[in-house]
Amino acid sequence: MENTIEQIRENALAEIENASSVEEIKALSIKYVGRKGRITLFLRNISSLPKELRPSAGQEANETKQIVEKRITEALQQVEGSDVNSIDYIDVSLPGRVAIPGILHPISQINQEISNIFKRLGFDIAEGPEIETDYYNFEALNFPKNHPARDMQDTFFVSDDIVLRTHTSPLQIRIMEKKQPPIRVIMPGKVYRCDSDLTHTPMFHQVEGLVVDKNIGFSDLKGILTTLVHQIFDEDISLRFRPSFFPFTEPSAEVDILCVICRGKGCRVCSQTGWLEVLGSGMVHPAVFENVNYDTSQYSGFAFGMGVERIAMLKYGIDDLRKFFENDFRFLRQF
Amino acid sequence: MKFSLSWLKEYIPIEMTPSDLAEGLTMIGLEVDSVSDRYAYLDSVLSGRIVEIVPHPNAEKLKICFVDIGTEKRTIVCGAPNATVGMITACALPGTVFPGGKVLEKGLIYNQESSGMLCSESELGIGLDSEGIISLPADVDVGQKLASVLRLSDMVFEVDLTPNRPDCLGIIGIAREIAAMQGSFLKYPSIDAFHTGSSISEYTSVKIKNPDLCPRYSAGLLIGISVGPSPFWLQDRLLSIGLRPINNLVDVTNYVMMETGQPLHAFDFDTLSEKRIVVRAAEKGEVFTTLDSKERNLLPGMLLICDAEKPIALAGVMGGGNSEISEKTVNVLIESACFQQSSIRKTSKTLGLNTDASYRFERGVDPKGTVFALKRAALLMKEVAGGQIVDGVVDEHPIPFTEQVIALSINNTNRLLGTNLDQETMSTHLKSIDFSVKKTNEDILEVTVPSFRVDVSRHEDIVEEVARLSGYNNIPTSFPPIPAAIKPLYKQITIKDRIKDVLIGFGFTEAINYSFVKRSAVDQLRLRPEDSRRCAVEILNPLSEDQAVMRTSLIPGLLDTMHRNISWQTKNLKFFEIGRVFFNMQKKNIQPNEIEYLSCLWTGKRVENSWHGGNLDCDFYDLKGVAEGLLKALRLEGIQFTALPSENCCYHKSGHAASIYIAGELVGTIGEVHHEVLSSYNLKQTAFIMELDLDLLIKKIPENKTYKSLPKYPSVSRDITIIIDQGIEVQSVLKTLEKMNEKILENVELFDVYVGENIPEKKKSLSLRLTYRSTERTLEDDTVNIIHSKISSMLIKAFNAMLP
Repeated sequence: MENTIEQIRENALAEIENASSVEEIKALSIKYVGRKGRITLFLRNISSLPKELRPSAGQEANETKQIVEKRITEALQQVEGSDVNSIDYIDVSLPGRVAIPGILHPISQINQEISNIFKRLGFDIAEGPEIETDYYNFEALNFPKNHPARDMQDTFFVSDDIVLRTHTSPLQIRIMEKKQPPIRVIMPGKVYRCDSDLTHTPMFHQVEGLVVDKNIGFSDLKGILTTLVHQIFDEDISLRFRPSFFPFTEPSAEVDILCVICRGKGCRVCSQTGWLEVLGSGMVHPAVFENVNYDTSQYSGFAFGMGVERIAMLKYGIDDLRKFFENDFRFLRQF
Repeated sequence: MKFSLSWLKEYIPIEMTPSDLAEGLTMIGLEVDSVSDRYAYLDSVLSGRIVEIVPHPNAEKLKICFVDIGTEKRTIVCGAPNATVGMITACALPGTVFPGGKVLEKGLIYNQESSGMLCSESELGIGLDSEGIISLPADVDVGQKLASVLRLSDMVFEVDLTPNRPDCLGIIGIAREIAAMQGSFLKYPSIDAFHTGSSISEYTSVKIKNPDLCPRYSAGLLIGISVGPSPFWLQDRLLSIGLRPINNLVDVTNYVMMETGQPLHAFDFDTLSEKRIVVRAAEKGEVFTTLDSKERNLLPGMLLICDAEKPIALAGVMGGGNSEISEKTVNVLIESACFQQSSIRKTSKTLGLNTDASYRFERGVDPKGTVFALKRAALLMKEVAGGQIVDGVVDEHPIPFTEQVIALSINNTNRLLGTNLDQETMSTHLKSIDFSVKKTNEDILEVTVPSFRVDVSRHEDIVEEVARLSGYNNIPTSFPPIPAAIKPLYKQITIKDRIKDVLIGFGFTEAINYSFVKRSAVDQLRLRPEDSRRCAVEILNPLSEDQAVMRTSLIPGLLDTMHRNISWQTKNLKFFEIGRVFFNMQKKNIQPNEIEYLSCLWTGKRVENSWHGGNLDCDFYDLKGVAEGLLKALRLEGIQFTALPSENCCYHKSGHAASIYIAGELVGTIGEVHHEVLSSYNLKQTAFIMELDLDLLIKKIPENKTYKSLPKYPSVSRDITIIIDQGIEVQSVLKTLEKMNEKILENVELFDVYVGENIPEKKKSLSLRLTYRSTERTLEDDTVNIIHSKISSMLIKAFNAMLP
């Protein structure tokens, strides 16, 4: 009979050494350190020992328990590693507990992409009112009253003098009124035009850009916008600048990219032209600078604007603009 | 603006292919929208030989022709008197779309099958002959396309002109741009045959009472003409660009307008009282019947063309029925005038009357071009309608045209463009489009703007001309210097991005709804009459009643989104939207108050069905957890949820909603949607919503993060379970603990709420884990025990609590 803890320990270690299966080792675990195991019982009985022996016996028994437990664990690991049958497999092909992230709206994704490009170029970001006065939306941008240029943007009116902004350009004025050059800023936001079909929705998103400083030229506009287009689409995409008209820029330019669908061969999306309009831009019109009291002999600048939905449509091949505002989860989860 | 290649070639030789021409025009600023062969509709019209003719059994005047079209023989019913065996003619196959839009269908004619149609020139729109079917030369092979047999091909270009280029609203204007592109010369139509003189003054006169609205009015006169259909060439030209021929006089006015860009009007001279023209503004209450037989109520200031007594035309917009050209007209007065742009636009907008003429006048016609167009039209009218041109023109010119002279700085131009063009190059470009250029010094060119370029008025306009003529794609590419100093980004934007990130991490998907809603949206939300959200901004010209007002809450949009998705069978939804809401300031011409909101909606299952089970519906606490998690992620402190009293629950279910406070300020609400609101959206499953005023909330976000050193000493936990009245909010228990201000009480965690067996009725048991820690030492059991029992007895006392 093992009377001393040393003996119990020696026996235990020897038996563990000889054990060769998981079952054997588990049985030994019960035998020695289980609820009624020998070491456990020994520990429980310490209180019956003479008082002076208790501390050392207790300490020794605890140490033994730890050693035995450690060896059992080690032996189990050793045996499990070599015994294929004993491995407790889980079905790793079962789905995990649900942790599905939501989806950022594709418009926001493109917006963030554009913002990130401009942040790297040192631009600020600004926002402004969606309901504007006629002055900011038109007059200050050199759209006189009763001018055909106003037909370019079908306007929602709130009163004679208040409109839903038809573009993000009013922010150009608001920013220049508050601050002197140098300015480099982009202005994302919602805009409104009363038009609705496959390629027009009464609300859509634009990102406006404005750069004003000394010695800014049309070549700088080309540089920034070329970089932008290359970043948004791809580095090799061809683009072209062609003359256009916006009342608040002179010279004005539209930027076209080679049709991403047909690569320039001509298709329905590009109306057989091989090119797709993606940006409007131009050098800030001197009349606009005069409206914000900038010295045109010192400063020049360029502005540009693009439709975010249009970029998203081209990038992802979406053919119906209205899809963006239906919030169909089956649509959104593709982005 | 449309033009055909053959028409264009009257003024300039074209060597380019149509697609190169389209590309060239686009790159010079005249964007070509489409190029198409005007005879494309003839693709299914083939040459065919009539091989046999038999009488139609059921109709005396019809014949049944058997026609060889090469690949097959077709049976075609035909009524033409000239149809004979052996004849080669034009055979249209079913599907052909005739000019005028009629589609040829295969069918039965008096019970006889007819799979095609034998056509006359006029039916095919290639000539005037309508007497019989086309007879083609005998050596023409059968089965050829008629267009290639007759060499019919003419490309029609449609240009999307920007409003600044009215000079290109006439084909000559477009030819001028092409001349600049090609370096060739423009050939103007000759008006030499027009006799100058003053005979006309014996017949008529023009008086302009409002010179500011009509700086120039030219008139010419033809006598003894005869009105009738135009010759084929004239009708064909108009048809080629989509204009309907009317009669020879009106057709000439339209032809010359399309050629020169100058709108013209022809009056029946004999209908004019006292045979003279008076140009004046309308008076209050005046009524005028335009030639479309509509009575127009005029506003004072609208410009009228009158005779001695009465109005005869709405200047620059439309003529009147009372002076219209008719079959009886023998003497005609031609008007070629120049009207003030904004006045014409105002009249046309006010009356909702847009015409080819008003379109050109509101953009600006060439103030020096009236007489040329007048003479050209008179000569053409004489050619097509006979009669005599009365010598000379009346040319009232109260405000003479002054030439614009602009000093162009070469350096400044190169600075603005980032180019290095020399004076010579700029000068050549400008001359190519009829600008006159004189060198002042090495830097300055004195540029005289041609009268037809009404859009060019300052230095930058000339810079644009130089840029577009040298080609935008030849301008180099550079970058503005990047500033070394940058400022922090606008806080609102960075925080919104952070919110989006957090919510997406919580499984919410972003929705973007229209900012406009229907008027009744506020009723559907059951808002009380005095609720400020009923003060919506109304749109004067909405596209539909569903989009009549600007939203004052994001909830209607999210409920619409929920409804749509459920109808598409997606039933478990977690959506958020960030957007503005708009409050009417109740003052005319004052911008509304715009506030940015965040709203969330959660409906359906807590998690999608899975083998892990736990297939439960989401509840209030799911969404509240999101709110708490989000506010924590934004490092907001002092957050409190307070039950929304049932009288304040409009769209929330009473007793299941809370107000959200941050540092004592109300920033939003959260709760279950009221069943009446759900049913007004036809929704059956319940939903939970949260709204936060982002403008307020963002102000409360701390700017800086500060670090507190980590605890050095271990903590000790003690649990306590108390049984209290069910009506007591947990929050008041936690508040009470907080108020005790025990220095070593570090944290309180509620880990169980229990109602049921072993707990008295109307009571609940709360189990709290209190964590104690000192920053100065390791706590001893005794110290903790003393404090813990002090806390326990305080709770028992404060809440009349029992221990289990």
